[in-house]
Order: sequence, then structure tokens, then C-alpha cells
Amino acid sequence: MIDCTRYRQAMLAQPHDADPTLLEHRASCPECTLFTERLLRFESGLERALRVAVADAVVPLRPKAPRPVVGFRKAWAMAAGLAVAVVVAGGLWLGVPRASLAADVVTHMQEEPQAWRRTDVPVPSAALQNVLRDAHMHLAAETGVVSYANSCGFRGHQVPHLVIQTESGPVTVMVLVHEHALKPVQFDEQGYRGVIVPVAGHGSLAVLTRGPATDFGTIEHIAHRVLDSIVWTEDSSAARL
Amino acid sequence: MKDQVGGNHKRARFEALCRSLRPDLLRFAFWLSRDRALAEDVVQETMLRAWKAQDSLLDEAAAKPWFLTIIRREFARTFERKRFVTVDVDELVAREEPMLAAAEEQNLAELRAALFKLPDEYREPLVLQVLMGLSTAEIARELGLSGAAVLTRLFRARKQLRALCGEDTSLDPES
Repeated sequence: MIDCTRYRQAMLAQPHDADPTLLEHRASCPECTLFTERLLRFESGLERALRVAVADAVVPLRPKAPRPVVGFRKAWAMAAGLAVAVVVAGGLWLGVPRASLAADVVTHMQEEPQAWRRTDVPVPSAALQNVLRDAHMHLAAETGVVSYANSCGFRGHQVPHLVIQTESGPVTVMVLVHEHALKPVQFDEQGYRGVIVPVAGHGSLAVLTRGPATDFGTIEHIAHRVLDSIVWTEDSSAARL
Repeated sequence: MKDQVGGNHKRARFEALCRSLRPDLLRFAFWLSRDRALAEDVVQETMLRAWKAQDSLLDEAAAKPWFLTIIRREFARTFERKRFVTVDVDELVAREEPMLAAAEEQNLAELRAALFKLPDEYREPLVLQVLMGLSTAEIARELGLSGAAVLTRLFRARKQLRALCGEDTSLDPES
């Protein structure tokens, strides 16, 4: 059994460490539980603070002086051309709204890679409740460990972005009350596999896994399990205001 | 013809890889340099070097640390070429204010300003851990440190950062 000092030192170095000895100490120490709640709240802010707006960092592009293209430098010139194309495409890709809802969801995932941790540590209850309250909803307890909760800007609205630890690993859920889907959509893009399912009267729900390990049937099953656990506290259309 | 198809496929894969990693690489470069323009230049050079050296990337799953290593080397080269004068952190914060203050919440802007004030040796492992999602072992490998040294730096980084942000640190342990 470790003491409070060792526990707090370890947590300050790795706040999402799920080492059993740490969990055991936390469960038995109210002060360290309080310390952890404060630390994880701070950590959530830190994660958001580090994600500076990339589009702002990319645009405007500053063209570089053209490089001389001669003989053996041909390969270098091709690489330069490619890199400029990548930069321009990247800028456009980041700056222009995509037509596909699934593509936008995937893009958003790529901006928050730290959310995908496999962990037993739940997000502080107060932080989760804040995110859910803003979306006029709450979750039944049996949903699973919610390890990440953030209110994210998405297509001009703040939407709940949750990561739930399931038997298939971490699963991301985005509650998209402003995005209406006519029918369920499956997608498999850029390393993310997921579904978007319509939610009667409340837009849609996006559920994603990372990598090809989880089949669509399982993802849809998880999506419906999450849907069943959502309790709307009032008409979510109020969230549009 | 076959070679051309193969080349196009290779290029498409490389572009897709760059597109997916670029946002985080730019953020990493920004926090490393605390200078948006320099971060853009370094990432652009990194992409060029990565394209030339792509055959050395044997596993796309390892692309992120591979790019990070190139970025860090590129920074080292930049610092070798230029002789930077001692920086005034408040000046840096003021210069990058549009980016730092582009936060919906005031406390995020304060946190970003505090990150600017953190010593490089603490800020870098913190960014690698929190933003890039690297494990302690991966950070140690990247920075050429022992795992224990990385943990110590991460501990001190959060401790200093929390103090700079005026957090309640009454329960924080001593170093």
C-alpha cells in the first residue's frame, strides 16, 4: 500500500494511470479522491488548452521562394511540390466544411487523440454532469465508465463528446442534436469505424471505434445501448439557442 | 505503367498520412517553439524530409513518433542556424495572443499563457504526453531520458503549471 505523497506524485506525473495500487489507495483515501478530482478537472482543461486552433496556424500560407530544379535535384523538387500540395490540401481540408457528416466526425476525432485512452479512471462526475447538462440530457449509470467528457465545437454548435470504456475498448460518442439523419449510416474512414444513427426528435448519435477490430454489428449494438441509457431532460432543440 | 500506379498509390498514402498527422504535428511544433510562423516552417520542412525518407518508415502505426523525431531534429537544425536572443516570455505571449486567446473560456487562455512560461524541459514532455498521447517509455526514447527522469519532469511540469494558474495546490506533494 502506498502513502498519500507517493500517490499524488504518481498522479501528477501520469493523471490517467490506472495502476491497481493507485486505485486501491484512492478508494481508501477521501483526501486523495478530492485531489484526483481536482487534478483531472485541471487535466481536462490542459488537454483543451494544448489543442490550439490549427486552421489559424496554417492559414495564411506563406509561399517560399522557388527552389532551383536541376538534374539530380528532381526528386527534391517533386517532394517540395508534394509538400506544398499537402499543405494547401491540409489547409483546405481543415478550413472548409465537409459535405459528409461522417467525414466531419472523423476529422474531429483526429483533433482529440488523447481522448482514446484505455483506462478505468472515470472523468470527474461534476465535469460529466456539466457537459450533459448543457445538452439537456443525462446518462443512466449502467452506460459504463465515461473516461472523457467534453463540450466540443462542432459545425457551429457545442456538442457532448464522450468516451465510454466498453468490452470492445474505448468508444467515442458524439451527441449531435442538430444533425438530422434519415437512416443509419456506417462509415470506415482514416482508421475510424463507426455509425451515425437517427435519434427521434433529437438529431443523431455518432459512435466510433478506432481501428478495424470492432465490427459494425458490435458498434451498432453499443450505439443502441448508449441511446437506451440517455434520458433527455427537456426538448434538446433548446440547445440550439 | 505499373511503376507509375505504384508511385501514385505510394504518394496517396503518404499524403493521407500527412493530412491525418499534420494538425497535431503543428500543435506540437507550436508548443515547442512558442512561435506560430516557425512552427509552420518546421512542419513544412519536416514533411519534405519525411517524403525523402519515407522508405525508412516501415510501419505506419509508428508514423507519429517518426514524424516527431524529424520535427525535433529540424528544430535543432533551426537553432543551430540561427542564434536566438534571450526571450521575454511576456513578449512571446503578447506576440501569439491571437492564437492563445482564441479560447472560448478565459481559463483556457490563462492556461495557454502559463504553458508559455513553463521551462522547455518541462513543457516538451508534457505536450508529448497530453497532446500527442505518448507513453512514458516513448517520451523517454524520444528525449533520450530514463523513464524515471521523464516522470520527474512531468510531475514538476504539472506542479509548476498548477501554481502558475493559481490552482489550489494545498494537497500537492512537495518535490
